[in-house]
Formats: sequence, structure tokens, C-alpha cells
Amino acid sequence: MSDLEVLTTRVTEALGDCVIEHAEACGNLVLRVRLDSWRSVAETARNTLGCNYLSFISGIDWMPAPTVGLIEGDTSTPAQPKEMTFGAAGSAGRFQVFAHVQSTVQHIGFTIKADVDEAAPHCDSWVSVYPGADWHERECWEMYGVVFDGHPSLRHLYLPAEFEGHPLRKDFPLLAREVKPWPGLTDVEPMPGSESDEETKDEAVEA
Amino acid sequence: MGLADSGMLQKPVAKPLTWLLNYSRKYSLWMFQWGLACCAIEMGAALASPRYDMMRIGVIPFPASPRQADLIVISGTVTDKMAPAIRRLYEQMPDPKYVISMGSCANCGGPYWDSYSVTKGIDQVLPVDVYVPGCPPRPEALIQAVVMLQEQIQNEGIGNDDMRKRWNGEPINVV
Amino acid sequence: MSSTEQPVTPTNASPDFNPVPDFEVAPGMQRHLADARVNVELDTGDMIINLGPQHPATHGTLRLVVRLDGERVIAADPVIGYMHRGYEKLTEFRTYPQVTTLINRIDWLSSFANEVPFVHAAEQLMEIEAPPRAQYIRTALTELSRIATFLLFLGEMGLQVGALTPAFYGFRDREHVLNLIESATGGRFHPNFNRIGGLKDDLPWGWIAETRNVMKIVLDACDVFEDLVLGNEIFQARTRSVGIIPGELGASYGVSGSNLRASGVDWDLRRDGAPYLSYPELDFEVFTHPDGDSYARYWVRLQETRESARMVLQLLDKMPSGPIMAKVARIIKVPAGESWVETENPLGQMGYYVVSKGGTGPFRVKIRSASFSNVSILPWMLRGVYVPDVVTILASLYFILGDIDR
Repeated sequence: MSDLEVLTTRVTEALGDCVIEHAEACGNLVLRVRLDSWRSVAETARNTLGCNYLSFISGIDWMPAPTVGLIEGDTSTPAQPKEMTFGAAGSAGRFQVFAHVQSTVQHIGFTIKADVDEAAPHCDSWVSVYPGADWHERECWEMYGVVFDGHPSLRHLYLPAEFEGHPLRKDFPLLAREVKPWPGLTDVEPMPGSESDEETKDEAVEA
Repeated sequence: MGLADSGMLQKPVAKPLTWLLNYSRKYSLWMFQWGLACCAIEMGAALASPRYDMMRIGVIPFPASPRQADLIVISGTVTDKMAPAIRRLYEQMPDPKYVISMGSCANCGGPYWDSYSVTKGIDQVLPVDVYVPGCPPRPEALIQAVVMLQEQIQNEGIGNDDMRKRWNGEPINVV
Repeated sequence: MSSTEQPVTPTNASPDFNPVPDFEVAPGMQRHLADARVNVELDTGDMIINLGPQHPATHGTLRLVVRLDGERVIAADPVIGYMHRGYEKLTEFRTYPQVTTLINRIDWLSSFANEVPFVHAAEQLMEIEAPPRAQYIRTALTELSRIATFLLFLGEMGLQVGALTPAFYGFRDREHVLNLIESATGGRFHPNFNRIGGLKDDLPWGWIAETRNVMKIVLDACDVFEDLVLGNEIFQARTRSVGIIPGELGASYGVSGSNLRASGVDWDLRRDGAPYLSYPELDFEVFTHPDGDSYARYWVRLQETRESARMVLQLLDKMPSGPIMAKVARIIKVPAGESWVETENPLGQMGYYVVSKGGTGPFRVKIRSASFSNVSILPWMLRGVYVPDVVTILASLYFILGDIDR
């Protein structure tokens, strides 16, 4: 059995029925767990599996961005598929929180995902298990709007206090791109001294 | 206080005196290092590294506070959270003061032109004298910018209203 | 006072007690002596001050709101976000090659090292591998950028503690390494040299010989720093036992890299993580220090600079010949999937979680930056610390604002 299979067996046995689905993504183990077991999964990972290192906690918004590819003339923004598809270990809806924990001693690590409610996203806080979760959860709240129950002070981390909205949600537009779309790849800039360059020079002089 | 405020500089001042005053001002610029991001490293290399020494053109880098500085180089990305602090520091500098905007983030927002938290250019907040393009501009480019600024200072007039305007913080046109 | 009497301490001395022994004092000096009496209980309150966001000691736009009792910090709250440029949102609007241009600027002192995990993640999703020569050159450039950023750290931590000379030495020696990076990639920093599938260009003629010379200069510079800074008793007095991070607590906060190794945790992703670049073929040592204080962090980074120079020399000896770019299409389309790649960057563990839905640009990129977690331990660490030690601790943690704020 490869290392990854050994790890998968160990983790799924330790977590039991908290795991809804698990998958392998480019050599890494990804688990989707039940939202109500989010904190107990962290405790199991820390105490039983020996994962003493918290790498990150963040969120994913699976909705396809509504404005991408629809602005007239914007050829530079890469086009994305229009339907909502999900990634490794699937998802029940639009928002997910995901985290990665590792062990500095056993050199193992895995990713944990949980689906959160779309209308009022909330999740348990990991601060009592990993103290470093404090800042990661503040950032996740700021960027996605996910409220972490049990967090000491959920306030803005990166953005000024009067900022409105949650920027990493897909329906948060980048206004600079809407006001003036990037002209895209220009393959045909006129060489200096060429015909089309002469024309633009004359126009500038006449104006 | 001083010649500019008391109105004694309204009359045309002799060219040698203008030349001398501007000459001494341009070679004793005291630069406030406002290093924000990557361009600050190039600015540091221009000032503190023995290879691109900026002190040889008269620019001394470390004033104790903005109230003693006459040149500020905004190097790095300006975010909306940071812009009020920059404005406040600019207002603490006494006139005549000069601003060099270094790097494309400070010129126009640069590679983060479409970000939700970046100010698209420091000239939305302060009046800029010299723009230095680059990402990051080489230290030689910053030295070139200071040399251009020194030429600009040399050409400021005293007999006309330029000096009074500059020393009162109003924008002037210098050829 | 005879030896049977109780010693006079600040709590039991009478207000008339004058600790200064009797000697001839000029009349004008008498009133200065009066203030030297102990046991003057003053009614003091706490003071809240801001360190930053513009401050010569905070390495960029970090704001520390500290509550002080005299010179001691009671509580500290770092306020970050003054350099937040919205990277994770911007990557959703860029194609893959445009993203590599952008992510150079996260950790702006060792820019080459930022691109490596992202390019590796994209290559994993595309199931291609860069040819061996490209991997060796990438490793060499990563280690060169590690040397460049550590030389700056070695100089600039001396500056924060009060020594001016190491700063100039650090900048001067860094110029040699930047010369090398510039002759290979075209840019002193922000080289943008990685392409998905390999590198943009091969090495110029004469680069390998020049690099050998520069590595000798770097090894000499490390000896100079060890003597000048680590051997200096003022530096030792200011950094020993200052800012101790216990290893397990640091790991639970997410502190990584040299900071964690200086607390005794033997963990280095070049050796212990998933294999990447050419590290499996190199022979190198990982340094830890049991103390966990600022001195230990400086010591570990100094040793790592030396080790990086030796690694570069090994890479140059073993460099294979061959192509430097795998066969990829002109417009890069990465198939759908998720990929997590973490690397040992100079600042710590940096990782990219790339979610792709099969387009020309990524769907979501989660950038796990090292300094974010390194700085999150500051509220815990700064309690009860004197104000000058705050400066030492900030310098020894070695964070880059672009890495914290992304």
C-alpha cells in the first residue's frame, strides 16, 4: 500500500462517520466532513492523528463568476465554465470552508472541507484546538462572510473597518474592470515609423 | 516669516541670486523614506548600498521625522487603508516639498489596477513631481528621477510668483 | 547598617531614605539627587501607542497597537492590511502566466521562490514535468534567492538592534547575488522566469563560473557576520532569551521555517515534505537550535545561508544538460482538479491550493503565506516584553508585509 493509502485508512478510521466523502487530489488526501463535526475533527486530528501544525483555514465559493466573459471587449479575462461544478470530495452547495493540517513529526498532512449554509453561513471555531486559527477565521469571515461560533473577536483583519461586502465571493465585482475593461492582448502594435503610426501621429498633431 | 511671506520676493530678483538659492536647495535635499513595498527595497539599495550611492548627488536619506524632510519618495503599492496615513505625513512636511512617485503601483495602481483595495496611483492623494516607471525601477532610474527633480528645482524662478507659490504649497508650472 | 538589620527595599524604605551615599555634592546637584530616591509610589495609568504603520522598525506597513505600563507591554494587537492588494481575488481574473507575474510580488525579497509552488501545482494538474535541467536551474535560483533574502536579514537585524555596519555589508553582498539572478533572468527581483513546464531561457555562458566565485564571497560574508554580529556581546545581551517561542505552541499557531527550527522542531519541507524540484538529489543539513529566542533565529538563518551556498555549489557540479522546457501548448489550459503544493520558502512554509475548472485561468487560488502565521503569534509573544525588545522580536521573526497581507 502506498503512503497515501495508509494515511487514508488511518484517517478515515479515526474520524469514523464524520467523513461524508474522501478523495485524492494530486497526491493529497481531501476529506469532506459534516459541518456539526467540524471541531471534533480538529480535536481528533490534533490528539489522535498527531497533527500539531495548522497550515490554513479558508473558504471556497463554487458559484461561477457572473461577470467574467460577459463584458464587451474584455478579451483578457479568462473564460470559466458557466455551470456550477465542484471539486475533489464534492460539495453540497455554494460555500465551503476548508483547512489543511499537518504533523511536523510524522510528516503527514490532509485537507478537510465542510459545506456551510449559503444564506447564513456559520461554522464552529477552531481557536480552542489550534490557537493560530484566530487570524485565519477572521480572514475567512472578512472575505466570505462565514461566521465562526466561539471565536473571541470576529472583526476585520485586512480591510478597513468601513468596508462593505465580502470580496472573495464570486458576486463581488471588481469595479475597475467594469468601468474600463482591459484591452487584452495587443498583437498588432504599429512599429515606429510604419504607416499606421504615421496616421496616428498626424491625427495627434491636428487635434 | 521669511522673504516669501513678507512679499519681498515679488520684485524680479537678480539671476545670480536665484541661481544660487536653487543650487543650494537642489543639492541638499533631505529625503523621507516612505518605503511601502518592493520598490522600497530598490530605494534602499539606491540609498544604502555602496553601488548606487545616492548621497553623492546630495540626497541624504534619513531625516528624523517628516517635519524635517523636503523630498518624499512614495515607493510601493498604496492601499485605501494606507492612503490617509500618507496624506497626513505629507501634510506634516514643510514647504517647499517635492514628491517622487516610484514604481508603477504608485504611478497608476500597477499590476493591481483592478484590485478592490488598491488606490490607483498616489496622485489621487498627493501632487506628484516626478513619476518613475518600472516594476520595480532600477536604482539608477530612481537616481535619474532625482537628477530630473534637481533640474526642475534649478529652473524655478524667484522673481516671478513661482517661489511664493511653491513655498505656499501651490502647484507651479516649470519648464 | 549592620548585617542584622533588614535590607532596605522599595517596599519598606521610608520616604526620607536616601540611597546615595554621603559625599560632597555641589549645591546645584542636590535637587537632582532628590529624585533618585526609591519608593516614590506614583499613580500611573496605561498608555496605548501605535507602532506604525510608518515606522523604521516595523519593516513595512505593520501597525502594532500596544498597551504599555511604563516600558512594558501589557497587550499588543497587530493591525495588518495596509498592503492588502487582494491577490486571491485577482488570480481569479488572470490567466496562468499572468498569475505567475503577479505572485512574484508576494514575498518581494525572494521573488523566485514564490513562483515555484504555483507552477509546480499547475504542472501537477496538467500531469507534466519540467525536464531535469530546468529543475536544477530552478533549485539553484531558489537557493540564490534564499541567500539574497537571508543576507538582507543578517544585515538588517543588526541594524534593528543598533549596529549600522552589518546593514551595509548585507546590502553589498546581496548585490553580488542579485547580479547573478539578473544575468540569468533579466530582473534583479521579480524575475518572472518560471513558465509552466520549465523555464523561459537557458543560462548564459559563464554563469556557472561566476556563481562559484559569488558563493565563495557569500561563505566569507557568513563568516564575517558570525564574527561581527553573533560574537558581539551587545547583540547577545539584546537577543538572548528575548522572544522565546515554545516549539509546540509555535506549530499550533502555524509558525514555520527558520522560526520553528530555532525552537527545536526539526521540520524542513525540502527534506520532509513531498519531493519537489531537485532537493531529493542533494545532500544538505537542516539546523535546529533548542533555545527558541531571537539569537537562535539569527543563528539558524546564518547556518542556512551557508548551507544554501553549499547546495548551489553541489547543483552546479551536478547540472545535467538537456532541454529547459517541456512540450506545452501556447495557450495553457489546465484540466479540472485541485492541487496543493507547499515548499520551504525563505520565510517559512508557503503553499498554493489551486482549484482549476479547466479554463485558461484558475478558479480559486488559496495562497498560504508564511509570514501571516508567523505574525499571528505576536499577541501571545509580546506580553510582558519591554519596548526595545519588541523591535528585536519583530526583526528576528523576519516577516515581509507582502507575505502577510497578500
